[in-house]
Amino acid sequence: MDILTNWLGNMPGFAIPYALAALGLIVSERAGVLSLGAEGLMLVGALAGVGVQLTVHEPAIALLGSMLAAAMVSILFAVMVVWLRVNQVIAGLALVFFCQGLTGLLGSLMGWTNMPVTGLQNLDLGPLVQLALVGGLFRQNTLVYLTPCIFGLVVWYLNHSLSGLRLRAVGENPQAADAAGIPVLRTRFLAILAGSALVGLAGGYISVLSTKLWIAGMTGGRGWIAVGLVIFARWSPWRAFAGALLFGCIEALIPQMAAAGISLPQYFVLMTPYLVTLGVMVWVALAGKGRDQTPGALGEPFLREERR
Amino acid sequence: MADLPLQQTAPSPVPPRVPHVPWLSRRYALELRQQLGWSQQLVIFVMSVLVGLLISGAILVAAGVSPQDILNEFVVQTLTDPQNLRAVLFQAAPMVMVGLAAALAFRARFWNLGLEGQMVCGAIGATFVSLHEIGPPALRLWLMAVCALLAGLVWVVTPVVMKLRLGINEIISSLMLNYVAVNFLLHLLYGSWKDPKDAFPYSAKFQPFERLPDFLDGFSSAIVLSAVVAVAVWWLVDKSRAGLYLRFVHSNQRVADAVGVPVRRMVLGTVLLSGALAGLAGFMVAAGQEGRLTQAFYNGYGFSGILIAFLARNNPLAASAVAVLVATLFVAGRSLQVFYQIPFSMVQLIQAILVICVASSDFFIRHRLRAVGSKG
Amino acid sequence: MPNALALSHIHKSFDGFMALADAHFTARWGEVHALLGENGAGKSSLMNIAAGLYAPESGQLLVDDNPVQLGGPRDAARHHIGMVHQHFKLVQPFTVAENILLGQVPDNDDVRSYRQRLTDVRNAILTKSQELQFEIDPDQPVARLSVAAQQRVEILKVLLAGARILILDEPTAVLTDQEAARLLQTSQALARQGAAVILVTHKMADVQCYADRVTVMRGGRTVATINPGAVHEAELVRLAVGETLPPPLAVPPHPGAARLVLRAMRSSSHDGPPALNGIDLSVHAGEIYGLAGVGGNGQTELAQAVMGVLSLQSGTMELAGFGDLCTASTMQRRDMGIAAIPADRYGLALVGGLSVAENFGIGQVHSGRYGRSWWLNHRRMAKDAEAAVQTFDIKGVRSIRQKAALLSGGNAQKLVIAREFSRELRMVLVHSPSRGLDVRATAQVHERLRAARDAGAAVLLISEDLDEVLALSDRIGVIVRGKIVAEFGVPADRQAIGQAMVAHG
Repeated sequence: MDILTNWLGNMPGFAIPYALAALGLIVSERAGVLSLGAEGLMLVGALAGVGVQLTVHEPAIALLGSMLAAAMVSILFAVMVVWLRVNQVIAGLALVFFCQGLTGLLGSLMGWTNMPVTGLQNLDLGPLVQLALVGGLFRQNTLVYLTPCIFGLVVWYLNHSLSGLRLRAVGENPQAADAAGIPVLRTRFLAILAGSALVGLAGGYISVLSTKLWIAGMTGGRGWIAVGLVIFARWSPWRAFAGALLFGCIEALIPQMAAAGISLPQYFVLMTPYLVTLGVMVWVALAGKGRDQTPGALGEPFLREERR
Repeated sequence: MADLPLQQTAPSPVPPRVPHVPWLSRRYALELRQQLGWSQQLVIFVMSVLVGLLISGAILVAAGVSPQDILNEFVVQTLTDPQNLRAVLFQAAPMVMVGLAAALAFRARFWNLGLEGQMVCGAIGATFVSLHEIGPPALRLWLMAVCALLAGLVWVVTPVVMKLRLGINEIISSLMLNYVAVNFLLHLLYGSWKDPKDAFPYSAKFQPFERLPDFLDGFSSAIVLSAVVAVAVWWLVDKSRAGLYLRFVHSNQRVADAVGVPVRRMVLGTVLLSGALAGLAGFMVAAGQEGRLTQAFYNGYGFSGILIAFLARNNPLAASAVAVLVATLFVAGRSLQVFYQIPFSMVQLIQAILVICVASSDFFIRHRLRAVGSKG
Repeated sequence: MPNALALSHIHKSFDGFMALADAHFTARWGEVHALLGENGAGKSSLMNIAAGLYAPESGQLLVDDNPVQLGGPRDAARHHIGMVHQHFKLVQPFTVAENILLGQVPDNDDVRSYRQRLTDVRNAILTKSQELQFEIDPDQPVARLSVAAQQRVEILKVLLAGARILILDEPTAVLTDQEAARLLQTSQALARQGAAVILVTHKMADVQCYADRVTVMRGGRTVATINPGAVHEAELVRLAVGETLPPPLAVPPHPGAARLVLRAMRSSSHDGPPALNGIDLSVHAGEIYGLAGVGGNGQTELAQAVMGVLSLQSGTMELAGFGDLCTASTMQRRDMGIAAIPADRYGLALVGGLSVAENFGIGQVHSGRYGRSWWLNHRRMAKDAEAAVQTFDIKGVRSIRQKAALLSGGNAQKLVIAREFSRELRMVLVHSPSRGLDVRATAQVHERLRAARDAGAAVLLISEDLDEVLALSDRIGVIVRGKIVAEFGVPADRQAIGQAMVAHG
């Protein structure tokens, strides 16, 4: 029983980075920009978070720093895909390796590697903590509680605001949006920045609040899994949230298995998130052979005057 | 009304004289270009590479390496010191292989990001043959190579079948398998395959006949192997019928299918070959440079392969040349690490900067700015 | 009375191709003004400039006699210019109301909530729709509306944005005769209310019946502006086309046995009725079977099914002597002597990024004509391609190695024909062969089709251009909603065919 409680209690900590990263990706992809750079942007957010925390010792500011750093690095990506019309897959890959190289270099040069930070205190949500089994879900740090609110905000924006309508139009049919007078390039640029800030926040969570230090490459493929998650969620934020919870459950299970005395080969257990991602993609492909909810113009650069 | 002649291709009449408008207050419109001359494309490409190198140089200087040292390490040492030259060529051999693997897959519009995983499987396959002493010593090395080929091929089967059958994006699937392969490698190296002689996570040393021999004094036969493979791939892509089919598949898969090209067969065959070459690269590193199965030998090859294919525009011969340059980068990067404490991530950063610069320069090849009247 | 819209001395080129050369156009308030010309004459380009989508290289634009500079579609909307394009600019998954809301620019002192805005737009749509008798439901997703209804949504969109200069680009191209008449009557009603309605079209009949004035363009230039009521249709044709071509020689056909037999062909569908809903037809050797119909009734799917690019849910497709084609790959169908000339040239027939020689040679590579699988004889391929360029009069080929994308519409079509017709043919499938072609190229293409028929092939001609179908066919079928609803022999009654096209199966 203890294991179950511990498992559920630890689950949000693993789920939140997936959720935030997926949400950030959804924002930019709904505007029609295929964003593969999540893995790199999470690393930038992670490093920036630790760096700021080590300097000012204030987690809230550190997390803001994560968001800002990721947004700034994403300007490079935004310029490439929106203005220079570079192939979005190449640009995404280049961004990931750029960030990996940059964070590895900076982390080492600034001496931030392996320096522990304090993180955030957990906030108990009143009497809910006393509940059996699920009590642990209500003893989390503030960002965990904020995440569903952030999701709600983004969903409201996309579906119930004029600006969100315009963003979705840009992603579905940029020619129509252009004819309606919507600034397609500017919208995409801002969507990339906003989405990347969220992805950076996910990275900041991992380094500042979860692991509480920085090591080069610490995201370990989570950014890529988030990309798969967005496809699995068919670009709907709440479905992505559900998927993130699922992955959180799986990752949180790993340490609990050892505690339960079940001995599995360590490295096979570590493979689980990646194999599950594969499985999930196969399942989506087999099951979802119906309506295609991909944003209509995802991945295509926009140019107004085109012939042939 | 006078009869105007029917025009097949429109002639260009003399436009009325436009009053001269200062450069900055002109409005510009962006247009797609149809075709740019070969030489102009080359100039733009070379310039973008130079810009990338300059930026990288600037970062190195900011990181504490003086410009003279940079020039020394990257240019002088590599070109003059024969020891260094041998190291570069040695490093180039597996680089050529992954470059070819990536280029082949790209020609079939398949993003093979699983190169590292395929290398790992290839090395595992070769080590398997060595540890279990399969085959007589005379054939052992060949068997290791073949097993590595097959292992790499097998590791790419899943992503390519998932794409062909279910339309699943191969970027994520091949990447996920990288992590799976690496974990499997660690499982073996920390477990049953650990060298009993000491506590480090690597396999027992390969026997002398299980290592790639030197071809000439100091020059590994790996170099010959990669040269042979490069020529074979070039022939496939340029001279064979499959090469023409691939050009159609690459340019427009839908038209290729409509016109009778066996698209699925081409994609499957090409991608499997790509995986096999990556597996062979793994064998080259394990049986060549390392001499055993180690835990981080594959680092950096994945993106290097993509970089090489991208810079070489998927051309096999150009890829070989670019691979040598990337190998130079690697070798210089290692000495930077040793002598200047610059982490190896610097190499990755330089590679990314080069890709960004070259990819961005494509913009100028494909588009044109046009002045249209004056600002209102 | 000032002119509503005036364009003068307009020049525009696309990457070296001169689309407009010193073009003029003037429209008055309260008139329906037709802009007439063949495909490629520059009509759409000129109107795109008026709508703010393209920027001219030189020239002047006057609205209500005031010179204006348009920086984009929003500027045009501010000057009360609205354009309904041939390819609708609608976001398919959105509702009608959402699409129209998209184009609205909120003023700074507009503090309505999103919900309030949406409601206001819905009410505006209902009011205007009633006024014009459009019958549009604002909450319907656009994807569920018929093509004619979507066009009405586009018109509502520009009207609600305050357009008083309305530009309709080839509006009747996708409509049945009935729907087209209704639309043109609406245009007249709007003109009577004081708006300036500009009809971009290549259909002479529309011009003669509904336009107050007509401006004729040809080759990027303005040729004439006249009152259509004052001239004969033949004169309009002469102005638009420049010369009259002699009618082709009529050779009586000798049809043979049935060669391609389609039975109960049904395509699969995700939602709604399938595009092909039980096709039954047969094409005989030595005949041209023309399939007429309004665009969007399954023609594309039928062409793709015969080509081998679309897989069917049920039904059979038999080629005499070869059995059921349904499982045959595209390569196998080519080997059987089936040639396909699809409507979407660069989507299904030619690869723009590859050379003319390669696009030509790919047809014969499989047969071994250019060497074995491990060594292709590129030189032979180049020579064959050069010969074909001569034989089929493909213009604009500076080098056999240049990219196919550089060919103009007519020459690209000739390249496809050259590739397909360079071998023995049993069956030819051709879809919209003269789309985008000028009169001379069209005549050459038609000649080739007749020659193929005379050589004994079975030709299935699918075309949305009734004139083309009537000119070429030995037998005519009409396709509506994925079924063949009527068949006619020649000479055929055009009215009867038109009525069959409108019948709802």
